[in-house]
Amino acid sequence: MSKFFYARLAINNIRRNAQTYVPYIVTAIGVIMMFVIIGMMTNNTQLLKLRGGTTLRTILFFGTIVVGIFSLIFLFYTNSFLVKRRKKEFGLMNILGMDKRHLARVMFLETLIVAVISITLGILSGVLLSKLMFLVLLKILNFEVQLGFEFDAYFTLFTAMLFAGIFFLSLLNNLRQVQLANPIELVKGGQVGEREPKTNWPAFLLGQITLGSGYYIALTMENPITTIPAFFGAVVLVIIGTYCLFTAGSIWFLQLLRKNKKFYYHPQHFPNISGMIYRMKQNAVGLANICILSTMVLVMLSTTLSLYIGMEDVLRTRYRRNFELTASDIDSVAVQRIRDAVDSVLAKRGKAPQDIISYRYLALTAKQEGSSFATRKNDLDMFSTALKYVYFVPVEDYNALTNRSVVLEDNEALICSAREAYDYDSLSILGRTFTIKEKVDSFQGDGSSLVFLYSSYYVVVKDMDTVQEMYHKYTAENELYRPTISYYFGFDVDANRSESLAIHDDLVASAKQAIAGSGYVVVESAENARDDFYSLYGGLFFLGIFLGVLFIGATVLIIYYKQITEGFEDKHRFEIMQKVGMSRLEVKKTIKDQVLMVFFLPLIAAIIHIAFAFKPITKMLALFNLTNIALFIWCTLGVILVFGLFYAVVYVLTARVYYQIVSAKE
Amino acid sequence: MKLLEVRNLKKTYTTRFGGSQVQALRNVSFTVDSGEFIAIMGESGSGKTTLLNIIAALDRPTSGEVLLNGRNIHSIKESEVAAFRRDNLGFVFQDFNLLDNFSIQDNIFLPLVLARKPYKEMHERLQPIAHMLGISHILSKFPYEVSGGEKQRAAVARALITNPKIILADEPTGALDSRASDNLLKLFSDINRLGQTVLMVTHSTKAASNASRVLFIKDGEIFHQLHKGASSNEEQYQKIADTLTMIATGGIRHE
Repeated sequence: MSKFFYARLAINNIRRNAQTYVPYIVTAIGVIMMFVIIGMMTNNTQLLKLRGGTTLRTILFFGTIVVGIFSLIFLFYTNSFLVKRRKKEFGLMNILGMDKRHLARVMFLETLIVAVISITLGILSGVLLSKLMFLVLLKILNFEVQLGFEFDAYFTLFTAMLFAGIFFLSLLNNLRQVQLANPIELVKGGQVGEREPKTNWPAFLLGQITLGSGYYIALTMENPITTIPAFFGAVVLVIIGTYCLFTAGSIWFLQLLRKNKKFYYHPQHFPNISGMIYRMKQNAVGLANICILSTMVLVMLSTTLSLYIGMEDVLRTRYRRNFELTASDIDSVAVQRIRDAVDSVLAKRGKAPQDIISYRYLALTAKQEGSSFATRKNDLDMFSTALKYVYFVPVEDYNALTNRSVVLEDNEALICSAREAYDYDSLSILGRTFTIKEKVDSFQGDGSSLVFLYSSYYVVVKDMDTVQEMYHKYTAENELYRPTISYYFGFDVDANRSESLAIHDDLVASAKQAIAGSGYVVVESAENARDDFYSLYGGLFFLGIFLGVLFIGATVLIIYYKQITEGFEDKHRFEIMQKVGMSRLEVKKTIKDQVLMVFFLPLIAAIIHIAFAFKPITKMLALFNLTNIALFIWCTLGVILVFGLFYAVVYVLTARVYYQIVSAKE
Repeated sequence: MKLLEVRNLKKTYTTRFGGSQVQALRNVSFTVDSGEFIAIMGESGSGKTTLLNIIAALDRPTSGEVLLNGRNIHSIKESEVAAFRRDNLGFVFQDFNLLDNFSIQDNIFLPLVLARKPYKEMHERLQPIAHMLGISHILSKFPYEVSGGEKQRAAVARALITNPKIILADEPTGALDSRASDNLLKLFSDINRLGQTVLMVTHSTKAASNASRVLFIKDGEIFHQLHKGASSNEEQYQKIADTLTMIATGGIRHE
């Protein structure tokens, strides 16, 4: 009988608090579902059968961990809202004669009910949707594979245990809060007269400094290699600045507004400014969280989306021709044999190479100091931004490539730079000084130089002998970094995807045969690389969407909970104002303004962050070979628009619920 | 001159699931002349607060009407009723109803801000009132920093600042100690002497003995009324106490 009583009480409690419990359960189901989906996809055995499956699995595994950690924090956070709301109720039960042990029992049963419902429904929907999500992923990746349904019992059990643990932890936290408080405190809940917050000047100053320097670093960042550590430094500074300015800056600003009598004593501003000053004290951190979360979502989605959309561009930047062979350490006889091998492979399928590019080059690393390049081992510090790739190409190959007839003297050279312009009239390297006869704009060179972090220069010299001389001098100075003289041969073939893949495989076999043990040869093709590109960029894009949806959901729920909690607190205030002569229409308008401020302040701050992050992000995308800035701008704008729309819908819903709470009759 | 006229007011509450009906007010009629200080007395549940809410246009009667300066306040459009209340009525509540996040001054300004008065005018209106109520020194403080008596005087200032036709007070001394109560009642007498009409609901005999007329309400009807006339507060106190005893012991009505 007694047991039955507690269970009934627990169920009734949940039912009565539906306004806060339903979103909590929905949150829990959603979070568990997301975890199951991404976890099951990671463990899917079919994944490894795909081209690039290992890359994908790594990306998804990373995602699983992020979702797991996020679930813990987020469920804990939403749970704390619930307890705050119910403190009064617990106090009342306590006063009415339930001792804390009984209370603990009711709370345990409540948590049990919520946990069972959420875990069951979460896993169920996760398992069902993981199949769908897998198909979505394959669609994104451009794979057309039919996969069977897979159920991973081990992972399911793991999920159930993990989330049972999380629920148990939040129960412990709730119990602790109730145990520590006496009934009177519980009944009073949070309604203790709070002092008006003052501007925290040190935090305000710190916020300005950190945010300012974070933005400054972002704006002045030039070099892509130094970008990455500097960017993360700037990110940390901006995060600190965001927290400081949301907490201290907002109060400073509101108090400034309050000092302006004309602005302050206005029916719409009057209740809101005072309300916000108090609200900011409790909620600034929450709003800063939302701001940072939104920024992350926007950056993640816009970058992964533009990489995904820009993939064909990137492929073409990386592979100037559909097929590329690079042979190293071989003689001219082997070169001829390779060309013959290519012709015969193509002829077998009735094709011929088109738009041929071929040239010989020597590639080496050197440290640039003005117009001179140091090549000793000790000079070559890996993380220096002065490190450059230097390619030497004989002028005959250059002329053949560009249909020109340039004649170079012994110490003359042409230079072509990728990424970074060369600003000098001469170039000294390995004991030789070349006069730059001409700076050429484009060089139909090997796109692989763009993969590297460092900038590169193509130096066109008089003949192959000069190239050889460079090779020997560099080898003599340097044992660690061995340069290579290579032969590049690129061409297009008019072939469809499956033909291209077959040609690729044939080329690999016959080119190896052609060089017959001397040196080595690498065969690459855009079609073959496309799968790798798709699994990397598509995988990132998928993860971007997946985490984006999760984070957007979280953002929305945090705001919803905040507003609801505040609605209950504000109810009394709005009642008074209505008695003193505020019309319902004015109440509605005031609420709209207030919710609007709370909602869009973090979003606006996030958009400002993104505007400042724009430059470093484009630099980093350049490392992924994405140089199409217009594309990135459009992707960013699109993502912001979609995010904003989503946000607006939730805003309208929240404002409505808030108004209902505030205007409800006792 | 008739300021407020209450005619045949009835209010019936229906319980939520349509079951039983509760009659809060059966048939209430009375008039208030300009410059009067009226106290309405009655036990808990006698319908006092319902009556006050209806007069304040916070609630609508089931039948009957309330006329302020000859105008039926329940025929005012919903969109104008807030402004009407703001311009014509001043409220003083038992639990003060000051807003925690406003300074005392801003609390007093609230109805004027809602009426979109310029700051200069608000400031000018506040000075004499604050002086009269003795709260000039606490204007910049916050409600949690001042005493109950000061809070209630701030609430009175908020009610007075709009120059209302009538002040409606609901158990204004209910949450005050006896000294603060005495001060507040004296204040009400003072502002009444300056011509302010006051309608006060109370079940404190002492509070009611300050009023120029006392209405007794029982089971939703005006049961009896006492004019103070030339009586002193003490004499009036005795008369009220006698009446209350009579009501409580179920005596018959006499005038």
